Amino acid sequence: MKQGVYVRFTIILLIVGFMIAVQYNTVQKPESRDTRDMWEIRQELTVEKELHSELLSKIRDVNQTITKYENLQSESPAQALNETLDMLRTNAGLTEVTGPGLELTIEPSLEGQALGQEVTSISPDLLVQLLNEINRFNGHDVSIDGKRIIHSSPIRDINGKTTVNSLIVRTPPFLIQIGTETFEDAEILYNHLKSSMIADDFFIDNLTLTIEEPKDLIRVPAFDQNIKNTYLKNASKGD
Amino acid sequence: MWLPLLGLILGISLGLLTDIQIPSVYENYLSIAVLAALDTLFGGIRAQLQQIYDDKVFVSGFFFNIALAAGLAFLGVHLGVDLYLAAIFAFGVRLFQNIAMIRRIILTKWTDRKGTID
Repeated sequence: MKQGVYVRFTIILLIVGFMIAVQYNTVQKPESRDTRDMWEIRQELTVEKELHSELLSKIRDVNQTITKYENLQSESPAQALNETLDMLRTNAGLTEVTGPGLELTIEPSLEGQALGQEVTSISPDLLVQLLNEINRFNGHDVSIDGKRIIHSSPIRDINGKTTVNSLIVRTPPFLIQIGTETFEDAEILYNHLKSSMIADDFFIDNLTLTIEEPKDLIRVPAFDQNIKNTYLKNASKGD
Repeated sequence: MWLPLLGLILGISLGLLTDIQIPSVYENYLSIAVLAALDTLFGGIRAQLQQIYDDKVFVSGFFFNIALAAGLAFLGVHLGVDLYLAAIFAFGVRLFQNIAMIRRIILTKWTDRKGTID
């Protein structure tokens, strides 16, 4: 009898202890408070909205492809596949792109020339920074000194020479071509680059970054090497 | 004697180690359930000391009180009346009464024993 009472008390106390501990946890560690002010929330909302519209346009593209497939299924599946393949090749940067865009010229600075300083090649870090600025504002297709940038293009220093796609970039002056989707995008990119601090960074390296006015027709060359695929493999038939 | 204490320690460490948190909306319910559980517990201890302890009354009282308290709080939230205050008041008063009773019984037992030894 006595033993049974103890067991019951033990079980009840176990439950009570558990409840108290859970309550303690809840009171001691409240969910982190939201301390963002109105402005930060608005900015985050803007970012999310942009993402939303981007996703919507992507969904529309994919839906168009699906419709195309469905329409062509009876007629010519090969053609639809070829069109998709072409589109993928364009996105990957394997084709030459002509369209609106702008050109940047990188030259040795006049001050450097006047002082007789040696013209050195541009540093990879500076190029990467410039590319990031361009990418931030929808510069889709970029070629540096005729070398097309694709998703896996390396920009690095090889034996003291700056290279893009393992090809040496000439010492300035050289051209950077940027292709955008629309002329408006090109204008936005132009204004952004004009207002950004990137030109100052070039000046520190004794270089001048000249941003030309947006043009209706820019030719960005294709990526002319093989893309190395280390991890992707052909799917076997039936998969 | 030590078995119930072990249960309490085990329960607390289980709760702390699993790091379970409940949404703050339900915090009220849990606090009132804890109060109800404590009330029943002390009621049980008092009954045991007075030798009127009954298993069925104790166990059923434990779960019924918790459910009633939580239900009252729930009803209060939906009616817009702070009914959980009624539960807190009732359980609080009973808790104090029970503890006072336990204290008296233990004191009486202690003085009795002291008297017999002397």
